[in-house]
Amino acid sequence: MSFASPRRSVGRLAGPTVDPRKPAIVMDRVTETFRLFHQRPSGLKERLYRLRRTSYTDFNALEDISFTVEHGESVAVIGPNGSGKSTLLKLLARILPPDEGTVLTNGRVASLLELGAGFHGDLTGRENIRLNGAILGLSGAEIAERFDEIVAFAGVEHLLDTAVRTYSSGLEVRLGFAVAVMVEPDILLVDEVLAVGDAEFQARSLERMRAFRDAGKTFVLVSHDLDAVRDMCDRAIVLDRGRVVFDGPVAEGVELYRQRAASHSAPRVDRRRGATQVAIDDVELVCADGEAATEVLPSANLTARIRLRALTAVDVCSVGLVISRGDGAHLYELHTTWQGVGVGPLEPGQEATVEIRFTAHLLAGHYALACSVTDASGRETWAVVADAARFGVRPAPGGAGLVDLSASAVVTEGPARRTGDGKAIPLPRPQHRQAGG
Amino acid sequence: MHLAVSGKLVELWRSRELLDQLVRKELKVRYRNSALGFLWSMLTPVLMTAVFSVVFTQIVRIPVDNFPAFFIAGFLVWQFLQNSCQGAIDSIVGNAELIKKVYFPREVLPLSHVFAQLTHLLLALLVLSPYLVAMRGFGVLRHVPTTLLAIALLTLFVSGVAMWFAGVNVTFRDLKELFVVIFQVWFYATPVIYPLALVTAQMGEGFAWIARVIAINPATVFVELARLGLYGSVSATGDAISPLTDGPPAWPGLTAVALAAGWALVSFVAGYVVFLRRSRTFAKEV
Repeated sequence: MSFASPRRSVGRLAGPTVDPRKPAIVMDRVTETFRLFHQRPSGLKERLYRLRRTSYTDFNALEDISFTVEHGESVAVIGPNGSGKSTLLKLLARILPPDEGTVLTNGRVASLLELGAGFHGDLTGRENIRLNGAILGLSGAEIAERFDEIVAFAGVEHLLDTAVRTYSSGLEVRLGFAVAVMVEPDILLVDEVLAVGDAEFQARSLERMRAFRDAGKTFVLVSHDLDAVRDMCDRAIVLDRGRVVFDGPVAEGVELYRQRAASHSAPRVDRRRGATQVAIDDVELVCADGEAATEVLPSANLTARIRLRALTAVDVCSVGLVISRGDGAHLYELHTTWQGVGVGPLEPGQEATVEIRFTAHLLAGHYALACSVTDASGRETWAVVADAARFGVRPAPGGAGLVDLSASAVVTEGPARRTGDGKAIPLPRPQHRQAGG
Repeated sequence: MHLAVSGKLVELWRSRELLDQLVRKELKVRYRNSALGFLWSMLTPVLMTAVFSVVFTQIVRIPVDNFPAFFIAGFLVWQFLQNSCQGAIDSIVGNAELIKKVYFPREVLPLSHVFAQLTHLLLALLVLSPYLVAMRGFGVLRHVPTTLLAIALLTLFVSGVAMWFAGVNVTFRDLKELFVVIFQVWFYATPVIYPLALVTAQMGEGFAWIARVIAINPATVFVELARLGLYGSVSATGDAISPLTDGPPAWPGLTAVALAAGWALVSFVAGYVVFLRRSRTFAKEV
């Protein structure tokens, strides 16, 4: 591996042919730096000004990244926002050159991150297909060869000679997708494409990507949709603040990312943020025994204790609670007024405490609590604490998945026997705990 | 750097389909929504010729035969240079979305404007050729190779200048504001309205440097060369009453061709190298 300037054009110059002896992607000690100007210097005056005072900070979007992807691998790149996922994809797509290190891609690279980029409203569908195909690197002959297939896939036969500016946005995306997937690359890069378009479009794009993966092509997906990631990929690279923190089997990577997301910051209450009429002073999550709930068993009885303080005179308000999974999936929401309970009237400075008791019918995982105070109708939000408390549910026998349905099994016909050691200490079965209080 | 440029040239060649499509887009978009289409692009040179002919034959006399023919031959060439650069200067900043989302050789964006303008120039010359033949004789047709050689070298020259403007404008956005002034000065420093021979013949002692500047100006080389094929030669007589004499279209001297080729090469390589070096960070800066 030489330090010479990256000769990434090699793959491109060799055209669509792939050298099977070399890996599909090699990233070697890549660092990408962005210069964040406090005031962007875009003219002479600013340039002269900058000579006197430096007004920027350098920030490494990616730091010392190295990995190799073999042909036919399907790799997911996951990580929180700002961890450098999109920058990584742009480096692979050659949109950005690396500031340090080398990026080598072997074969034709196409990315599904530019659906319809470069469409011109004044040109017809036919003309735009040719233009877009050329932008994506197809030759004239290749476009001509695939033209009918693109038109059929997008379903724009009757609009071919109409200016694209008259197309609906959905139709435009469909046409963009049709052109993009016709590139038939050796390496496909996808950036959160599953998030756009309607259900039908999403299903179609997923199907197309699966077909691509199953055809033994190399596939790199950036997504926040962890289920899609697990479904589509074999390998995960987890990024955090520009560094690779995990590189391995997708199931482990996804689980690690979920845990990191759940434990990233300690629960804290921002007393002032956004509070107008009522402030949330404190949120506590406790078990039935009064201890703070951090790690509990499935279907534990929990109490969220929310202390409020009125900032002005308040007639009545509603307290809301949202429980979500570590990756953000919304699980449960309650506002006290939904149950006919309001808080108030309150004098300025007067305090109030609301307890919301619930049984966390949840299985092993990490969960977060958010609290809010709204007016009685729930239209106006007066205070929000997004990350009020977190708790984990310990793995326990009796079921797997997300929700503890408290299932029990009975053999109603035929012989049955107890498996395992009969003398084992009886495990606290969820339904027992519930019944016992 | 040598290797990098030649590698890039191969890549540019592979992108000819894209360049072709972008030029088509440029031409189609311009004329799609106008009834007169291409004729609009003829309006500017024709009107300018009419106005300048009145001014410089009736009010201020520039002593050349067939001033309209003389002027339009040079003006079309000048317009090719100016319009190409005007389109190119915004081609990177104006396509920010594309730059940030897709990889392709960035130079096709400014070059698409150059080739669109080249198409205009060739069409305009085709339309005007009967007039030029009527005014200057069939020599115009016999010396088409002179004209084509001038245009070919000029295209190389213009490509370099256009890429330079497009690339530098990304970091120095003030350039766009300066553009009008730069081209105004450049226009008058180029013998479009007047023949170069008149400058050398009439420039006073203390102002000889102006004549030198005009002679060194690369645009002069191309305008004079193209006009040699389209209009003919103009030379000084040394006579005070009729200081100029003109000849029919002719073959260019070796010096003139070498000078034009030299400028074309220098401009193209310099513009391309500057552009390539800057293009690395376009996706971060647009």
